[in-house]
Amino acid sequence: MEHKDWKNVSSSDEESNSDFDLQDMNVEERHQNPYSTLCTSLSKLQFRKDISKAVWCEDVLMAEVIAKKGSIWATTGVVRSSKIYCLIEEIAFLAERGALILVDVRDTVLSLNDIYNKLSDENNGCCWESFEAYRHLKSLGYIVGRHGLPWSLKKDENSGSSVSLKCTLENDEKKPNFDVYPPDSKFKKTSPGNPSFMVYVLRGDLPSKPVVEQLERECSGTLLKFCYVDHGRVSFFSTDKVELPVLL
Amino acid sequence: MESTNTRWKGKGFAEIARSNPMSQTLDQLQQALTQQPKTRALLSGQCALLEATPAQADLLNRACLGQPIVTAEKDKQWFELGLEETLYLHHHMKCLPIVCENENPMNDEELWARMKSVTKRFPVLYKAYSHLRSKRWVVRSGSQYGADFVVYRHHPALVHSEYAAIVRSPGCDGTRGGDARLESWPDLQCALRVCGSVAKTLLVLNVECNGCVAEEERFPACLEEYTVEERVIKRWTPEKCRDGSQTVGTNGY
Repeated sequence: MEHKDWKNVSSSDEESNSDFDLQDMNVEERHQNPYSTLCTSLSKLQFRKDISKAVWCEDVLMAEVIAKKGSIWATTGVVRSSKIYCLIEEIAFLAERGALILVDVRDTVLSLNDIYNKLSDENNGCCWESFEAYRHLKSLGYIVGRHGLPWSLKKDENSGSSVSLKCTLENDEKKPNFDVYPPDSKFKKTSPGNPSFMVYVLRGDLPSKPVVEQLERECSGTLLKFCYVDHGRVSFFSTDKVELPVLL
Repeated sequence: MESTNTRWKGKGFAEIARSNPMSQTLDQLQQALTQQPKTRALLSGQCALLEATPAQADLLNRACLGQPIVTAEKDKQWFELGLEETLYLHHHMKCLPIVCENENPMNDEELWARMKSVTKRFPVLYKAYSHLRSKRWVVRSGSQYGADFVVYRHHPALVHSEYAAIVRSPGCDGTRGGDARLESWPDLQCALRVCGSVAKTLLVLNVECNGCVAEEERFPACLEEYTVEERVIKRWTPEKCRDGSQTVGTNGY
């Protein structure tokens, strides 16, 4: 089985936002034949030449980006007081691809295991299933932000609560998880515009009708997609209200 | 021993399967996981994450357990294991310690409570899963076919799945209501229709709880109480059976 390299190391430094595309995610790996003599080991994402770096800040539950490499930062991380902070799902996504090194305040490198641990800690505002939804959409080139978290705030807007992610964590789980923008947009963090849809990641049982309606109110007109993650398979559903016309 | 529904994916694959029995692979996997003292899985949401050595990764792939995660890491292979797979490795094969966030080890009670909190069907789903796995069938998620599991005679790279399995637990409290499957004609016809069009046989696994009350289920004792009945449901077409040759029913419509 031939696999394309995720990132050609010899390519130019200019990266497009569609860097992380799905064809390289080896979706068809699922049934690779382990009994075949031609069997290659699971293809690895190649190490990148340009690796960004971020420091985990426990007080804001995000990481401050201290070395930005590549154009990924045009659509990743939130801007607060001219600094870029990146959320745990963004960290995990980039770290899996070898595009980001996360360190703690003592400059000790945190392993992927440490990052998965943080991801599993729901105090950080994410969970494994949300992350898989995020990864799936990002791999298709979509621009994905945490729902309701502004992409950028100027200094004066930001006074008092500093970076504050915590306010968004106190939701009662009845808010969408992500605001999603199409891949081809001329996206600007300072004027992101309206998302093209919002995603609510389902956990456990199917949502009741009142929950669906509450979510729809929260979306105020933006399309809502439900995401269900099952053994690594990410599926999306919509349930849009329709009114069939009266026919002649 | 093969049913008429066994469809190997290539020439000689039946032979490869025969010379690589699943029981042997599972034994080797058990050893490979136990030999590495650092092996543990991190329970995260509705799955567990396992950092495997190359040897462990190969055996997990051969046993068709979990889903490899593609990362840039060089010498380690991460796997995402489903909850049933996780518990099977932990409880049945006794070769996988489980930790939660911050590397805290989880005892059986915590583990069971956590898994049950994901879906209240978990105890019966796990019983059905472990029932089939113990018989060395390969069991994977059936969500693509609207079933609980799909069931393979051997590795999915070698053979198509034979059964789409739906787990029922008519006698168990706490798992009825919205979760109950095959309790209406449209639902049964829908399941048969899908199975027919993908050339699978509908396998219904009736899990009987034998008086174990869902609220008081104690792990793992309750699993011993549960029993599983296997039943195959097919459409039977008398038009095709007038010569008396086929009386057991056919797949599909």
